[in-house]
Amino acid sequence: MAGMSSKRLQKELSKIQGTLPPGITLVSAPDLREWTMDISIIDNPIYPPHETYRMRFSFSPSYPIEAPEVVFVACTSPERKIPLHPHIYSNGIICLDLLDSQGWSPVHNVESVCISIQSMLAGNSKAERPPGDAEFVRSNRQRPRDINFLYHDPKRAFAGGIVF
Amino acid sequence: MEESHYLNCKSRAQNYNPPVDLRLLDYVSIYDNNLMCAICRCPFVDPVVLSECDHVFCRDCIRQSWNSNTSYTPLGPRGDCPTCRTPAKLGPRSATSKILVNLVDELVVHCPKRDDGCKAEVRRCEVQDHVNIYCGYTVIECTDDDCTLPVRRKDAAQGCLHFGVSCLSCHKELQKWKLEAHWRSECADRRVHCDMCKSSVFYRDLEAHRKEACPAMSVSCPGKALGCTSRSKRGHAELHAKSCTFAKLAPVLLKQQERLDEQEAAQKEMSRKLEVLEGGFQNMQGILYPPGVETSQRSADNSLTPSLQERLFGSGTAESTTPTGTAAGYDWTESAVDEDAVSPAETMHTAFSSATSPRQRAAPLPPGPRPADLPEPFSSDFDIASPTGFPPPATNGGPYASPLHHLLSMHESLRDEMTRVSSALSELDGRHSMQILNENLRTREEISYLAAQTAGLQRQVHWLTSSALQRQQGRSPTPGASSSGAGGAMMDAGAGAGVEAAVGAVSTAATALRGAARMVNVGGNGSGSGTGTGMRRGTSEEGRTKL
Repeated sequence: MAGMSSKRLQKELSKIQGTLPPGITLVSAPDLREWTMDISIIDNPIYPPHETYRMRFSFSPSYPIEAPEVVFVACTSPERKIPLHPHIYSNGIICLDLLDSQGWSPVHNVESVCISIQSMLAGNSKAERPPGDAEFVRSNRQRPRDINFLYHDPKRAFAGGIVF
Repeated sequence: MEESHYLNCKSRAQNYNPPVDLRLLDYVSIYDNNLMCAICRCPFVDPVVLSECDHVFCRDCIRQSWNSNTSYTPLGPRGDCPTCRTPAKLGPRSATSKILVNLVDELVVHCPKRDDGCKAEVRRCEVQDHVNIYCGYTVIECTDDDCTLPVRRKDAAQGCLHFGVSCLSCHKELQKWKLEAHWRSECADRRVHCDMCKSSVFYRDLEAHRKEACPAMSVSCPGKALGCTSRSKRGHAELHAKSCTFAKLAPVLLKQQERLDEQEAAQKEMSRKLEVLEGGFQNMQGILYPPGVETSQRSADNSLTPSLQERLFGSGTAESTTPTGTAAGYDWTESAVDEDAVSPAETMHTAFSSATSPRQRAAPLPPGPRPADLPEPFSSDFDIASPTGFPPPATNGGPYASPLHHLLSMHESLRDEMTRVSSALSELDGRHSMQILNENLRTREEISYLAAQTAGLQRQVHWLTSSALQRQQGRSPTPGASSSGAGGAMMDAGAGAGVEAAVGAVSTAATALRGAARMVNVGGNGSGSGTGTGMRRGTSEEGRTKL
């Protein structure tokens, strides 16, 4: 299992180091456990094109079967902020079904996850944090994968949120 | 028996060599992406077609994927297709095209023992056989009858290799059969090739080689700190350095920067020292000229001034071994003549200033603009330690050697002044105490003379009193006297009272005298200490007025 995970990550890494879609760059991949990627959103006035957002991917040994843990990280040099989005908490946790066991599929990879998040930001029209952001950020001690998010289908009209 | 032994061997061999996981193999040739499983990103291993959507995955991949998120299903494995999310189950084996299976089986792979040294390249369908039967790097049981330890197949013919040896390079103890693998991948002293420059280096030096020596590594120009942004391979760095102005200037500028830092540190230290010195000097000044005493001293020391001047002049000539000393003495006499009426404190000031200025002129200072920003010839409000009083440090290549020299010279002159002041002070003190002693002697003589006179007076009064008392007693035996006698007695009593009053007056005078004498004595005793001269003068004055 672990062998398959590292084999696949090696292949992905060599592919990522070659070409990537515009707006997505690999920052560092010191090992096969944690990578950092930068994304920028090109065509959305909420996110100025010069602003770049940093994501941290953490892979478990059963990676392609299990989803990686993806969070936005803020840092000062170079300056990276947490993008403003109704499904991204201000501590960087992303409420996206793709990153949960329900929505994850082993055919996804780092590149496709990056594209998904990029398109999620590009299609956003509300410059706001999710409801209950302050409370969640203050009280959350769980890892993103353990949080019981409730996802919504865009066709149905209820807001995505957390089920405690 | 034979059979069980054979089976034992076989099971152990299986433990030594677990079945090859085809998904972990390295492929020799580039394969078509259509032959790749979307989950493991390898050419399909035992491909299986999903029943509804016809997507193909490795059997193990789809099993693992479904096992992780679906609970047990009695109707066989089923779940959503990872690619299109259609609910599906595994299709029958017949659904998988034989062509696809053959295509992936024909792919040529490296032997999984490649890292150990096997260079074989075989078709994927034959890998398991290669490892089990042919590969020389597969571990099998030792051929020696008594030994059941593992050994590589190619080494098995050499007999039992399970004895301890030590590595020739790193002297690590290990078994002979492991030695080759050790040399290949463990030994710190083995030769490895640098990825960048293809040179052969020791494994333990590889890091250092990459960091410092590797000619293929790109390094930045030595003038990077000065603004050169070019990077070049270490091999070409010298070529670049020859043409780069920054690189040429770098050592000089760096050295200068170093010197600058050093001098700045030294200057900081000097200014701190100066501050301390100045504080000490101000303290000295405070002791010399306490603000409250100055006026009383001025009035009291009119008689003292000539001798003090003489002393100071003497101290000036005593230093005449140095040319500045003579100058100081000369200047001082002039100023003393001019300012005869001035208090000794001010005279001292002038003396110091005139002594200081030639010194400062003698210090290694440049001619030209320098004297303009030199501080005023010594005065009490001149702040030596203030940075504005000094020229900026000689960073811009000023004409004088360094601010350090300037500071040193200032320091020297200050120290000289300090010693001069202290010697003048001690001499002044000695003179003062002599003066007081002389005055005290005279006063004491006067007092003793007065005391003798008072004693004579007292004796006379005593005699008068006793005679008057006798007379009174001689009259007292006639109590029944006439009225005239009574009147006489009244007169006597009045005379007696007058005498007693006189006696009282004399005794009070004597006490006052004694008090004065005591005060003078106290003054005489205390005159040894250098301070409080004004106070002492005050007491002697007081004693004199009381007398």
